[in-house]
Amino acid sequence: MVPFGGWEMPLSYESGTVSEHLRCRSDSVVFDVSHLGTVRVSGSDAKEGLQRAFTNDLNKIGPGRAQYTHLLDADASVLDDIIVWWIDDETFDVMPNASNTSRVIDAISGRDTTESRAILAVQGPRARQRMQALSAEAAAVPRFAVQRVGIFETQCLVAGTGYTGEDGIEIAAPVSVAEKIFDALLDAGVTPAGLGARDTLRLEAGLPLHGHELGPGITPLHAGLGWVVAWNKGDFRGKAALTAIREAGLNRKLVGISTPGRRPPREGCVVSHLSHKIGTTTSGNFSPTLNHGIAFAFVDIEHIEPGTEVAIDVRGTDLAGSVVTTPFVKKQSG
Amino acid sequence: MNIPEELKYTKEHEWVRLSGPTARIGITDYAQDALGDIVFVALPQLGESVSAGDSFSEVESTKSVSEIYAPLAGKVTAINGALEETPELMNSDPYGEGWLCEFEFGASSGADSLLDASGYRALVEG
Repeated sequence: MVPFGGWEMPLSYESGTVSEHLRCRSDSVVFDVSHLGTVRVSGSDAKEGLQRAFTNDLNKIGPGRAQYTHLLDADASVLDDIIVWWIDDETFDVMPNASNTSRVIDAISGRDTTESRAILAVQGPRARQRMQALSAEAAAVPRFAVQRVGIFETQCLVAGTGYTGEDGIEIAAPVSVAEKIFDALLDAGVTPAGLGARDTLRLEAGLPLHGHELGPGITPLHAGLGWVVAWNKGDFRGKAALTAIREAGLNRKLVGISTPGRRPPREGCVVSHLSHKIGTTTSGNFSPTLNHGIAFAFVDIEHIEPGTEVAIDVRGTDLAGSVVTTPFVKKQSG
Repeated sequence: MNIPEELKYTKEHEWVRLSGPTARIGITDYAQDALGDIVFVALPQLGESVSAGDSFSEVESTKSVSEIYAPLAGKVTAINGALEETPELMNSDPYGEGWLCEFEFGASSGADSLLDASGYRALVEG
């Protein structure tokens, strides 16, 4: 167990990070992600409040759908990246990263319901099939849909979301029934997975992690997430600063780097091109699916082209690599 | 915790199998468990001469990196090339297939300061 944002979390279970990771790519795993925050925002003005706070546009979706969005600081830095579950007309569950819940509440003034529920993420190509043993209804919640579903005669919220690059669902269950659901998932053949696999899975899937690829000094544009910004919806927090940055142009951007050897690149390593420093890695590890190193890095804008040859300095050893498009691992179709 | 009786140990969680003038070394069961899934081993150089306590190899897992210190003074006479493609052998069989390298060592190599199994057990189990 390791401390994480005020929670005690398993880094891995019995079978280990690599095995859990591969199981998610080939079958199914369950993560206990109760550490994510939940802020309930409700009322007739709830939607407009969220529209003014966040970058994405809720008018692209509707009740019963989920949306990825950002909360910006006044300087357009990403304060947090968030999933919003639009439950019904005037009810939203806003889900920040663990350590950012209070900042998000400051911005949108909802009610922190984190303590009342557990969240289980069931992910992998066979996640839905195995979930049918517990609830066919929950297993069928479509991608990015949000539905109220009874599981073991207890009302839960189920969304077709996740953070692994695989199909799957996330279940927000009252604490009283969460352990029973977790145990039933294991009985149905789902493998428990810890924070270690969660990190390598999201990295392979090219998904940013706040505090690494997002944070102070990093806007959605720097992180390559311009699609999260709805320029035409009216004003939102940080929009003026973000507009100025867009007009001035970016001087650096997030890229994926693939290193063909097994030695894992790590966070905070200098990236160079022809012996000149061009950037710094923000995350890096061994990719269990690809059997070589992968990393995210912010690099100078003139070196972001896929195919650019780079070296990553890992404690004095240069790992040769090249800029690649992300995701590093694409979901198998079908 | 698997701590074979016939081996010697270091405080840095390496094991040493002494046989005549050579010693085979690796990392202990305790070390592999603490590191988690091992994904890369920077093998020592064949023929390299090292002093006891030198950092001469690195083991990387999905969560961290750990340096390996030479348990004895001597010359590296064999390396376990299987670790290049299957470093997970260090996890699955730390005292067998997951060995790191072999040393040829001399009289004043430091072998008499190694821990025996009960000394090492006291170290890791407190």
